[in-house]
Amino acid sequence: MIEIKSLSKSYNKGRVKAVDDLNLHVKPGEIFGFLGPNGAGKTTTIKMMVGLLTPDNGSISIAGIDMMKNPLEAKRNIGYVPDNPDVYDRLTGMEYLNFMADVYKVPAKERKERISYLLEMFNLTDAVGDLIKSYSHGMKQKIVLTGALLHNPAVWILDEPMVGLDPKSSHLLKEFMRKHCDQGNTVFFSTHVLEVAEKLCDRIGIINKGKLIAIGTLDELRHGEQADSLENIFLELTEI
Amino acid sequence: MKTFMSLLKTNLNVYFGISALKYRFTKEKKRLWEPILVLFAVVIGGGSLLVLYSFLLLGVFMGGQGIGHPEIVLTFAFMATQLLILIFGIFYIMSVFYFSNDMNILIPLPLRPAEVLGVKFIIILIGEYLIALPMLLPAFIIYGLGTWSNIFYWLKGLILVLMAPILPLVIAAIFVILLMRFINIRKSKDLMVVLGSLLGLFLGIGVNFLTQSIPQGNEKEFITSLIESNTGLIEAIGNKFPPSIWATLGLTSPGWQGLGYFLLFIGLSLLLLAVLLWLGNAFFYKGYLSGQEVQRKAKAISAGDMEKRALKTASPVVALFKREWKLFIRTPIYFMNGIAGMIMVPFLMLMPLATQTEKMSEVVSLAKDPKYAPIAALVSLGIMLFASSMNLISSTSISREGRTFWISKLIPVSPKDQVLAKLIHSSCLSLIALILIALPLYFLLDMLLYRLIIIIFIGLLANILINILGLIIDLLRPKLEWNDPQEAIKQNLNAFLAMLAVMFIMFILGGIAVLLALKGISELWIYGILALIIVLLSVPSIYGLFALAHRKYNSLEI
Ligand SMILES: Nc1ncnc2c1ncn2[C@@H]1O[C@H](COP(=O)(O)OP(=O)(O)OP(=O)(O)O)[C@@H](O)[C@H]1O
Ligand SMILES: [Mg+2]
Repeated sequence: MIEIKSLSKSYNKGRVKAVDDLNLHVKPGEIFGFLGPNGAGKTTTIKMMVGLLTPDNGSISIAGIDMMKNPLEAKRNIGYVPDNPDVYDRLTGMEYLNFMADVYKVPAKERKERISYLLEMFNLTDAVGDLIKSYSHGMKQKIVLTGALLHNPAVWILDEPMVGLDPKSSHLLKEFMRKHCDQGNTVFFSTHVLEVAEKLCDRIGIINKGKLIAIGTLDELRHGEQADSLENIFLELTEI
Repeated sequence: MKTFMSLLKTNLNVYFGISALKYRFTKEKKRLWEPILVLFAVVIGGGSLLVLYSFLLLGVFMGGQGIGHPEIVLTFAFMATQLLILIFGIFYIMSVFYFSNDMNILIPLPLRPAEVLGVKFIIILIGEYLIALPMLLPAFIIYGLGTWSNIFYWLKGLILVLMAPILPLVIAAIFVILLMRFINIRKSKDLMVVLGSLLGLFLGIGVNFLTQSIPQGNEKEFITSLIESNTGLIEAIGNKFPPSIWATLGLTSPGWQGLGYFLLFIGLSLLLLAVLLWLGNAFFYKGYLSGQEVQRKAKAISAGDMEKRALKTASPVVALFKREWKLFIRTPIYFMNGIAGMIMVPFLMLMPLATQTEKMSEVVSLAKDPKYAPIAALVSLGIMLFASSMNLISSTSISREGRTFWISKLIPVSPKDQVLAKLIHSSCLSLIALILIALPLYFLLDMLLYRLIIIIFIGLLANILINILGLIIDLLRPKLEWNDPQEAIKQNLNAFLAMLAVMFIMFILGGIAVLLALKGISELWIYGILALIIVLLSVPSIYGLFALAHRKYNSLEI
């Protein structure tokens, strides 16, 4: 579902190499956890996957569609939530959701069902008539999340989605992710919470200084050393 | 003191963007021509204004000398400066003290409110010198040279010139702090923006009105009579608020008396500053914290209502248009700046006619003459087009998206459709402005209806071209990094560049129209040719716009 080939990106005219020859494959039905220290290149990779940044090199395909060659079609299959969402402060929550539904061409009936389902789930129904300006950080994140999932995209790409959510919302989101993948779809998300990655992910990739240094199921990462926790693996691998 | 200095240093850095500038010059090395161009424009524009102003002051000085009061020039300059700083200071202080984003960072720091307030006050003060020095120094120099003043004059004067903005600014600050403590005005930040813009508008019209009413040829007599009629006013202000003339007296009174007034002025400034800091300690944070909410609706929308809303679907272009429209209307600074400029221009142009009623009726009766009606309609079209060149809606259209631009990059709508929605949005507003400008002309000149429709139609065509160019300019170099909507529109060079481009085009179109009219080509042919030219320019422009959008929506990174 997600296919990344020799992806590279540098900032400041080549002085900062943020992502360096990254190769990655995420299969349908998989929840993929993307780990790495601060500044490792997670957000940069994710932004390239959803078309916010143009790669210097390499290719990305989402649900079999090449992101460079057919960006609009690829984007229709993506639901993306950034790590720090800036949204239109002066729209109401409902106006924002309707805007997103319109641009993703969600039919009226489906739109109605999904909006009320997601709002109910995130407990946002009461606030949806207010300007987004008045929302808390978590509420903003939830309205962006709702907007991103309205068109029922096959691939979810989430940058640190649990940060800022209350325990209940975060729990519901994790369940929702599982359900989505059980239907043969894909979730790709970055996180710093190793317990979440350990419990939730089918496979894990660890990136450090722009390079993918490990990838596989938890067992594969352990190399058979049963006792090792993900925390120890992470610390060992990223300690350079 | 050490914390204060480091706070001041950081704030100066942030406020005037010193590190960002350094980064841009040394690391990124891009668009170096930009600040140079701005500097150039400021030097030319500011310089010519300064020369004009100096001549005015010279007139005031000589007029004053004629009636034995040469110091009137000083009083005039000091009063005008202080008044200006007082009025604009109120808005400036409100925005820097209460509406700026850094308060969230500053309040938790272990600093006394007075320290934070002091730093912010100094920053505003530095900004005000940009107004005060050009206004005061010419008067100070003219009087000094004109009366052969001694060294004490120059010494005292320099100090007074530097101290002059403090008094009005402190008064404005005290006013604002008390106001904010007792009335929750923060809730209505938007209202303040509107009020501030209106004030600027009226001041602009007022200044224009004044300069228009100076009779040509006998400026000198006019100034003399102005002075004679206004010494009473100046004295009245001086009586009601003595500090406003202490500066003058401190400079011009002989010996100990002069020194006394000098010390009085400085003493009062410092005393009020101390009062301000004391008040700041007591009220500043409280006032800030008391008004931080955004209005929320009392009740949630009902399920049925929600269903209705969710069922209203629209095509992507319409959805984008609605987004543009709502964000534009709901952000007062956009609305005021986008529309006001366009509507103000015809006012300013008609002003000279309105003040000189005889000429006015002469012109109007000429314009009503069927023989000249076609020319009048063309001139009206010219006024409308000139006004719409003040349009900065399209030339800040991408910039206004700011940090939310990621949404536009993310959504599966082609860049072509996205700029098309922006073009429709800005052209709709252009049309509204065109009609608002044309209607008064229509009634004033008894224009025939078909002419009105034709000039509005051609005006719209030209505006579409203007908006395409504006969008191209904004796409080429959008300003996406901003924290306050104001920066996207007011501190955006694109608006200025677009105006230049548009003026150039208007110049060419106008030239062609005049040429055709002089050749005696019939009216309808002139309109036809103009429309044809505009369309011929628009077609390649719009394809250029689409191609550029395609490239830029991919390559712009935020
Ligand atoms: N806009 C930018 N300009 C210059 N350098 C950048 C920019 N954004 C990121 N970088 C650099 O790219 C590298 C990777 O950053 P990135 O944001 O992808 O890290 P991350 O893995 O998401 O970190 P975190 O866990 O803190 O979110 C860092 O070295 C960072 O300094
Ligand atoms: Mg990140």
